[in-house]
Amino acid sequence: MDDFNVKNEPALKQFIATPPRLPPKNERGVIGTILHRCFNSIGNSVLTLCVAVVLFYLVKHILDWAVFNAVFVAESRRQCMALSADGACWAGVISWFNGLIYGRFPMDEQWRVNVGVLLGLMWLLPLMSKRIPLRNFILLSWIGLYPFVGGYLFLGGRFGVELGLVHGTMTCFALAFLVMLYMNWVLSALGYKGVNEWFLPLVSRWAERRIHLMSFIVVWVLITFGVSLGLSHVSLEPVAIERWGGLFLTFIIAGFAITMAIPVGVVLALGRRSKLPVIHWISMIVIELVRSVPLITVLFMAVTLLPIFLPADMEFNKLTQVLVAVCLFAGAYMAENIRGGLQAIPKGQYEAATTLGLGYLHTMVLVVLPQALKMMIPNIMTSFISLLKDTTLVSIIGLFDIMLMARNIANDKDWVGLHTEPLVMISVLFFILCYSMSQYSLNLEKRLKVDH
Amino acid sequence: MIQSSVSKPPKKGRKSVDPSLSMFQRCSALMNNDESRAVVLQAIVLAAVLFGLWFLFANASDNLDRLGMTFGFDFLPVTAGFDISWSLIPYDSSMSYWRVFFVGIVNTLVLSACVIVVGTLIGTVVGILRLSDNPLVSQMARWYVEIVRNVPLLIQIIFWFTVVFSTLPAPRQSYHLGEWLFLNNRGLYVTSMESTLSWGWFFLLVGALAFALYGLFRWSKPYYTLSGTRSSGFYIGLVLWGVAAVWSVWFLSQSMTLSVPTLQGFNYSGGAFLPASFGAAFVAMTVYRSAAIAETVRAGMQSIDRGQYEAAFTIGFSRVQSLRLILIPQAIRSIIPPMTNSWLAATKDSSLAVAIGFPELVSVFMQTSMNQTGRAIEIIFMVMGFYIFISLLISYLLNKYNDSVQYKVR
Repeated sequence: MDDFNVKNEPALKQFIATPPRLPPKNERGVIGTILHRCFNSIGNSVLTLCVAVVLFYLVKHILDWAVFNAVFVAESRRQCMALSADGACWAGVISWFNGLIYGRFPMDEQWRVNVGVLLGLMWLLPLMSKRIPLRNFILLSWIGLYPFVGGYLFLGGRFGVELGLVHGTMTCFALAFLVMLYMNWVLSALGYKGVNEWFLPLVSRWAERRIHLMSFIVVWVLITFGVSLGLSHVSLEPVAIERWGGLFLTFIIAGFAITMAIPVGVVLALGRRSKLPVIHWISMIVIELVRSVPLITVLFMAVTLLPIFLPADMEFNKLTQVLVAVCLFAGAYMAENIRGGLQAIPKGQYEAATTLGLGYLHTMVLVVLPQALKMMIPNIMTSFISLLKDTTLVSIIGLFDIMLMARNIANDKDWVGLHTEPLVMISVLFFILCYSMSQYSLNLEKRLKVDH
Repeated sequence: MIQSSVSKPPKKGRKSVDPSLSMFQRCSALMNNDESRAVVLQAIVLAAVLFGLWFLFANASDNLDRLGMTFGFDFLPVTAGFDISWSLIPYDSSMSYWRVFFVGIVNTLVLSACVIVVGTLIGTVVGILRLSDNPLVSQMARWYVEIVRNVPLLIQIIFWFTVVFSTLPAPRQSYHLGEWLFLNNRGLYVTSMESTLSWGWFFLLVGALAFALYGLFRWSKPYYTLSGTRSSGFYIGLVLWGVAAVWSVWFLSQSMTLSVPTLQGFNYSGGAFLPASFGAAFVAMTVYRSAAIAETVRAGMQSIDRGQYEAAFTIGFSRVQSLRLILIPQAIRSIIPPMTNSWLAATKDSSLAVAIGFPELVSVFMQTSMNQTGRAIEIIFMVMGFYIFISLLISYLLNKYNDSVQYKVR
């Protein structure tokens, strides 16, 4: 009975655990573990061997096809077949690579897509820095302002001619915001005050309240003037929306759906939880109807019924119709996720907020929603992943997303019948995107874990 | 009685509005009272929604007039005039759009039922394999799930169709199993039984037999629960049931003839036929669904306390026994709700078979029929109505089942 010791001093009766014993000798080490877990019985050994043999042949065949026997440089499929009949013909995918990424975007203008995507990423980059205050506003500004910049770059056109006045002005404001953001970041890194504080002394002479905000607006407007002077000399070749395509279009649809899903979902979820019967029922009917039909029927509905149900003089391109449909669909699914989060918030939180004198809006925005959204991050990320995968459906109604571009390779006269390689290529691409998103969500979940 | 020092709240009642207030102040007073604000808000929302609906339908009637289209379900009895490549219920091109609708529904239901049954079986096995002690097995199950569920279903369907099923040999060189079964790039031809009797008799007999067996077990159950053995009456009944079953098989086989697929020209005739598009859609959706269900099953199994497994192991249960008797019955409770969603998703996903031309509801009704008749509004509402009905039905049935399985908490 000396497995554990109890000190027998009456004042200090203390339990001291002995360290755990090591596992039995035959279970230690790498070989021990393998032997113990893979070959501990006859059945298990047979299973292990079978799985190992199957795996070996699977990996060998895949590698042979995709790497060792593959053709990377060729003029046409015929040449591919002549070089190596039983290997992949990656040459076709490589020659169509631009098409897969940019769709039918004009060759000379494709740099604009790169710049646009780069600007979008640059905009989000300051989120990584802990030095910048009010980072939520950067995210909000990205959602509210970046689409104008992106739209300007992707559509092109001159100010006031192809580009509408509102769109042009908002583009200038958005670019000015980006410039200011980076100036502030650099200045704060160097230890100076931000640009938005330059006019503080001037403003404080006229006003007493909200001088920071006013100074910020003054600086923003000034920079906007500078930017608009610069932009008015630039003219970009107009590109029709019908020519957008490839991975670029997939990202636009998925990005739009992901950014719109949360606001639409929050509104619908709050509506469904509302005590007012009319609002409750309307939200519930919308959520349940949208959730119980397949996305493809919603897309068909958007493409065929929107032109009928909207005034005849309103012109819609297919992309807008699809975006409306995807937004509604994503919002309904997100609403159910968010409702789950709202239900998990203890009643005490609502009561505490009421006690503090917060109204409905403040209770929700400041107290309940931040907790609910944080709690639901894994589910929300799962929704995002399935949204990204679902964007491939737009190829069925004829948008040239990456899926349709990949299928089109087989119709090219040089690459007739090249089905497998493009499909494998975009499968790998989607796998990488979705898998990294799911790993990121696991990481986020661990980092934001709220229960103790 | 303890006297409360808190004064009573003032009696609720309609306060008369101070006449000295201005119009604006009266309105804002209306918005500051909880009850009146609720009424006002709901009235505004309801008015907005009704106005939106009115706006949409006014536009629709304008647009329909302008385009010379009409609204109504009078197109349904009209002859459809197009062929459908595969249908379980009798169909030819002289039948009406109603028939097309039902052909689409039956094909959709058959495809999703097959996917649900096989996908659930495979998914359960993979989910249990993921928890295996053998690292090779569990890792292989894990990567199966990861790869399958991170690639869009549409890509998988098209992959199976263009890469696997379309590259099968032509009918003349088809893979075959004796003279009974032929597999080629058009699909699968199987020897089938053809009966001169109608299918109604067949279903009636099978139904009667199943009901009789159920009744027999039900009748003998009280004795069985008391004594642990079956009564002799049960065995007599079982023998009688067996005789009836043999007789009905004999009776049915009298009217049956074998129909063997034979090559005629470029194609097979006779036998039962499953098109390649069905095969591709079925395999792709089953694989995809099995991965989703494997995750559900794994999560459900991991939600059980490890002590349960250890206790089962301690009293000498084997791995299979502890799974069957201890773990799965408990895991079912947490598995059923997500499994319901998975089955619903399988039903909705069956609409993706439209991409490879499998004649399911969206393909035959929402594409072909809509292009021919131009009745977009009616057709879309019918298709959506069908999916909504199915979703509500499945979730209602499974909620009932779920209620019966959950712990009774009072």
